[in-house]
Amino acid sequence: MTENFLEIKDLRKSYGVGEARQDVLRGMNFTVKKGEFCVLLGPSGSGKSTLLNIIGGIDTPDSGYVSINHDILDDMNEKQLTMYRRKHLGYVFQMYNLIPNLNVKENIEVGAYLSDNPLDVEEVLTTLGLQDHKYKYPNQLSGGQQQRVSIGRAVVKNPDILLCDEPTGALDYKTSKEILALIEDCNSKYGSTVIMVTHNEAIKHMADHVIKLRDGVVRHNDINENKIAASELEW
Amino acid sequence: MRNPLIKRIPRELKSDWHKYIVIILFMILMIGVISGMYVGHDSMLEAIHAGQKNLNLEDGNFELTSEASNELLDEISNQTTKVKIYEHFFRNASEDDDGDGEEDATIRIYKSDATIDKATFLEGRAPENDTEIAIDRMHADNAGISVGDEISVGDSKFEVVGLLSYVNYLTLHESNTDIMFDAFGFDVAMVTPEAFEHLTSRLHYNYAFTYVDTPKDNIEEADFSNDFRDDLIKTSYANANPIQNYVPEYLNQASNFAPSDIDSDTTSSSILCYILIGVIAFIFAITISNTIEKESTVIGTLRASGYSKRELIIHYMSMPIIVTLIGAILGNIIGYTAFRSIALNLYYNSYSLPSCELVWSDTALIKTTIIPLLLMFFINLFIIIKRLQLSPLRFLKNDLTKVRRETARRLPKWSFLARFRLRILFHNLPNYLVLIFGVIFIELMLCFAFGLPDSLNYYSQNASDMMFSKYQYVLMKNKDAMGNVITTSEESAEKFSSKTLMYPKDSNVTFKGYGSGEDEEVTVYGIVDNSDYISFPKTLKEDEVFISSAFADKFDLDEGDAIKLHEEYEDKKYSFHVADVIDYDGGIAVFVGNDNFNDIFDKDTDSFNGYFSQHEITDIDEQNIATTITADDIKKVTTQLQHSMGDTFVVFKFVLIALSASLIYLLAKIIIERNEKAISMVKILGFKNREIASLYIVLTAIVIILFTIIGFVASYQLMKWIFKLFILQMDGYFAYYMRVQSMILSMLYLLAGYGIVSVIDFMRIKRIPLDVALKNVD
Repeated sequence: MTENFLEIKDLRKSYGVGEARQDVLRGMNFTVKKGEFCVLLGPSGSGKSTLLNIIGGIDTPDSGYVSINHDILDDMNEKQLTMYRRKHLGYVFQMYNLIPNLNVKENIEVGAYLSDNPLDVEEVLTTLGLQDHKYKYPNQLSGGQQQRVSIGRAVVKNPDILLCDEPTGALDYKTSKEILALIEDCNSKYGSTVIMVTHNEAIKHMADHVIKLRDGVVRHNDINENKIAASELEW
Repeated sequence: MRNPLIKRIPRELKSDWHKYIVIILFMILMIGVISGMYVGHDSMLEAIHAGQKNLNLEDGNFELTSEASNELLDEISNQTTKVKIYEHFFRNASEDDDGDGEEDATIRIYKSDATIDKATFLEGRAPENDTEIAIDRMHADNAGISVGDEISVGDSKFEVVGLLSYVNYLTLHESNTDIMFDAFGFDVAMVTPEAFEHLTSRLHYNYAFTYVDTPKDNIEEADFSNDFRDDLIKTSYANANPIQNYVPEYLNQASNFAPSDIDSDTTSSSILCYILIGVIAFIFAITISNTIEKESTVIGTLRASGYSKRELIIHYMSMPIIVTLIGAILGNIIGYTAFRSIALNLYYNSYSLPSCELVWSDTALIKTTIIPLLLMFFINLFIIIKRLQLSPLRFLKNDLTKVRRETARRLPKWSFLARFRLRILFHNLPNYLVLIFGVIFIELMLCFAFGLPDSLNYYSQNASDMMFSKYQYVLMKNKDAMGNVITTSEESAEKFSSKTLMYPKDSNVTFKGYGSGEDEEVTVYGIVDNSDYISFPKTLKEDEVFISSAFADKFDLDEGDAIKLHEEYEDKKYSFHVADVIDYDGGIAVFVGNDNFNDIFDKDTDSFNGYFSQHEITDIDEQNIATTITADDIKKVTTQLQHSMGDTFVVFKFVLIALSASLIYLLAKIIIERNEKAISMVKILGFKNREIASLYIVLTAIVIILFTIIGFVASYQLMKWIFKLFILQMDGYFAYYMRVQSMILSMLYLLAGYGIVSVIDFMRIKRIPLDVALKNVD
């Protein structure tokens, strides 16, 4: 973990015009190394989701840039951005957004289909503890199980970066810890760089890299030398 | 790896099977009917064209006053346009099918040794001796005559040995100017030359011809025909044997009406089919649009994960294309089998057609498969592309409105429920627009399905009132062979004069007239003073005439208007002013006093050429009578149309109810599905099912009732206009008429369809569970 994989440079973004203008990102700078588990921490309105969306290529900055593996996203057109997301990114959202009329296995295959070197779907199902549920439809699963499927859909691509937007936001304590452990597993097992947005302070303890945001700027940028396992987290 | 999204399609089909069954059945029916019509149409046209070659169809025919000498025939053959002439004499006689002594039809008899305009036999054979006859198959069907039956023709009895189809009588048009063929009251037949000689009715000196040089195209054919006709008129008059009739083949209704009607049937059906497929495509597009809205966050996730817009467009396009393909394949199978026979039977029910064999139809494939697929493809593509334009982030945030209103639309200060309904209407506007279009379209079809039979019945029932007299006899000349004026002892008989002139149809009329070319045939009557049959509203000044109400209505003529008439075969023109309109819907006619008539047309004083009579005249020799017109002659158009189309209209009405019910069902279902969350939410808030139904169902009911009424008024006016255009193509007049009862029924039928749907809707609303509004994934 020596090389800078992701670089955020003087990133600015605002919404609205005139009096309604709201600066969400106000000159943000940081870097993330390859394979790092990075947590973006901050309260509501700190700009963390906007930042994640810009890193994910689904939103654009007003100025500054995001560079991934030396490719600057701003230079890419819509097609190239789609290819970038297809080949390099995995996305996990707070809401699971599964396809209702595809079963668990097929929902994971939706991710596998996009990748040139996908992980084995069966293996992912086992890793995520979904083997017994693989033929169930999303509406037959609990919230935690649905979130596992959405993680499976993202990691099966074997992405370079796994972007997680409040993945435990809609889950209870116990399920949240299970989900965090799974993301941790994926990070260590498959070597994906994980960038997780959360407002839960406790989660920072399992990260390699913790970036605290407030009012659209980086307040703290810390490397966590004493990270602990997700299973040991308490809040 | 295959795109796993494909697996959604069969599941979607299964989970919403009732919707797709309605759509697929709808498409199978539409495509099947069109395919059947085209295959039937192509098979029939192929048979007709083969017949035209093999049975030596003429290029035209003309009738002279008396038999032409060989010199005259030579002269005619070698005019500017060289032709080969065939003697093709015929006699018109009265046909009595049941031996009751009453005439059942007029039968036109040709000789069996004719080398032109030959016939094919659908049953039996050609006559071989003096007592045998072969008659038209269509007429035999209508009159219930079979091979082996005996019929009377004039004074002779014949055994029917064959049922035939003459190549130049695919429809039984007695005269080329008849508005409609008459397979009940008119028949064509074949007897041996000997039997032909024995018949006593007047001999028509008719000659058929073919061009020596085949015209290259229709334009050259028209040029040939015009040149030939002009020369023929001069030659025939110069030889004191004036032409009585001239019909070039390309204007001959009896041989062209069926193919062109078969063609127009398929054209209008295709247009109907495309409109309906267009409506289905929009229903699909709305469904997909709603699905996209419902699956917005899934789409956002897929796009964020790297699915391209193209992949999602293809995915959402698959369903309509697959459903159309299923409809097209099954529709074509049914079209080539069941519906083809139905189409052929429809043709055989109306026309005197030869037998035909199944042919592969490229047109059917293009029109029933390619065009619907393209329609479905482009309409859906347009809407799906438009819907998927938004960024992945907008989908993730479920923010799909393109233009956001600054403030909510202000509504009038109505009750809460009324405003709520209005909000639902605005929220579902595209659905309601398609629904409104569907309602208006179906109402138009219902006006057609109710109005046409009503118009026919009305015309039929009033036919006798449309006659001046029960009988109208038009004489060949007013003097017999001995030079004596033809008289009758019939007390009610009254002399009149008549002459046929032509009225040029307005050149800006959308459709070019056929039948008599581009002119309308007008009968000019000379009426005696103090007539018992026609009373003039006022005294006519010089150059003034009365016109019939049919003439006035058809060409929008009124008192004071100028009309110009001309002779068909001579370069003589007449200008008149309309003094008034006489209430007579039986024909396109002009009336003047008989003395005035004789002046205008250079006839002798007291000259006349016919009798009106309240009773049948029996003391005038048949040879001297050119035509007899009775109410049956006026009714023959309607009788034939009622026979050809009667059952079809009943079926058509029920198809339309099913169609309207399915359309409303599909759209109402979409509206409720789209509002499932909102309905679930108001249920949670404590609204009862009845109250919720009153919000959604009452709104749809208001829209449907309102637009049924608006649709009816618009459709009724449109049908009147379409009818007028249609009638302008032909000679004669026939107005669109709809009974009040039919008007009400046409709306009730549509509303009855909706009534059934609203019950289903109520049940659907009742079934929506409370948790829909709260669930993340359903």
